[in-house]
Amino acid sequence: MSKVLIVEDDKDLNKAYDLILSHFGYDVQTAFDGQEALKKSRQFRPDVILLDLLMPIMGGLEFLKQFAKDPGSKAKVLIFTNMENSPEVNEAYSLGAHRCIIKSWAEPQHLSRLVSDALLAR
Amino acid sequence: MSAKKTDFSTDELEAAFDGMGEAVVIINTRGIVVRANGVALKMLGYRTTEFIGQLFYKKVKALTADHRIIESGSRPTVKAILSGQSVYDYIYYQGKNKAPMPVFVSASPIIKNGQMIGAIDIFRDISMEEAVDQMKSEFISLASHQLRTPLSSIKTYSHLILDGYMGPVDEQIRLALRVIVSATDRMNELISTLLSISRMESGTIVLRKDNVDIAKTALEVINDIAVIAGSKGVEVKLEAKDKEPVLIRSDRPIVKEIIANLVSNAVKYSMDNGLVIVAVKPQAAYVTISVSDNGLGIPAQSQAQIFSKFFRAHNVIEQETNGTGLGLYLVKGLVEQLGGRISFTSEQDKETVFKVKLPRKIVVKE
Repeated sequence: MSKVLIVEDDKDLNKAYDLILSHFGYDVQTAFDGQEALKKSRQFRPDVILLDLLMPIMGGLEFLKQFAKDPGSKAKVLIFTNMENSPEVNEAYSLGAHRCIIKSWAEPQHLSRLVSDALLAR
Repeated sequence: MSAKKTDFSTDELEAAFDGMGEAVVIINTRGIVVRANGVALKMLGYRTTEFIGQLFYKKVKALTADHRIIESGSRPTVKAILSGQSVYDYIYYQGKNKAPMPVFVSASPIIKNGQMIGAIDIFRDISMEEAVDQMKSEFISLASHQLRTPLSSIKTYSHLILDGYMGPVDEQIRLALRVIVSATDRMNELISTLLSISRMESGTIVLRKDNVDIAKTALEVINDIAVIAGSKGVEVKLEAKDKEPVLIRSDRPIVKEIIANLVSNAVKYSMDNGLVIVAVKPQAAYVTISVSDNGLGIPAQSQAQIFSKFFRAHNVIEQETNGTGLGLYLVKGLVEQLGGRISFTSEQDKETVFKVKLPRKIVVKE
């Protein structure tokens, strides 16, 4: 079973994504900020990470910087944002993000497809 | 001649001129400064002796918004003298040891006894207005981002219920939820438009340099709009006869946004059984993308204003109350950002064709 780590500070969205991806058969864990995400990613070793950029304590970009230092980190990172074409998104790509998803446009079927696409991608 | 009680004497008029709250510079037909009031001298950083009798165009540089020099032939005072009419413009003036200052200029010719003797240049520092505009743009940007957050939850949870994650849902509830989702999508689009406009107006767009396959991008747009077009009975087709993909060096997301806005309008203002055609025609240095429809059309009296912000022609307001009047304003701005041109022809209730000409290679101003 593929492992997905959801990193999103909005509790409602976090819960919704958990519900959707669990329904599609993924092994899901969640975190509410970058720091918690770092801890969980080391223990859980997810295959895909859904990462929000704007979070308290530690944001998405800082997480990416730290995550890249971990030698065991092989997960595909999908960035969640409501800011398309922004400098933050460009920076996320340069830090190794795989793809960007506009939160307010995302629908449940799309979410599972985005995760499965990421898993298939080299 | 006895002066009437209401007359000012020459001395008093001089005092009025010097005391004016706006900057005033008077030049003769050779461009030499003959008078300048206190405010003008202060704003430009000159003493009287350094300014009077000097060439205006040498002492004060005029620049465009992106800091290119305005040649003397194009300066407001010269245009006023040549045309014999008042000229108004928003430009930048740069005086002695000063940074360029945004000003609103009104330049008028001075005619005495039927003869052109010079021009009067009245200018006002509009840095404050520009700062306020900047703040408004930033506010719209911030508000738009904030608005998207709750929208995410509304859309996600509506879908969760619709798709059965919360248990079985009867058809009535399903229909109601579809209305909610559709309204959310409309709101999302509006926010995207507002965001694009505020970024465009604040000049913070950094253009990308992608290899853009125009036909492929147009096809993506057509696919995205397929469901909505289908529900209206409108067919959307791509006409790209070239076997070679038409590639230009431009900003892909912006090119897509331009095409998407035009196609969305075409579908929106089409009738049942309508046909929208997107055509791609490459030329030597340009590519022309045209979007045509056989819908409502733009009435002749509305055509001059069609690209104005918030403008909606009366015939579309009567048919369809939803619309911001921002789409074409945004498209024109984006096309011009890419160094292109947009034009259209339209006949009410017959046919409308929008043509966007984009350079094959983006020229990025340094």
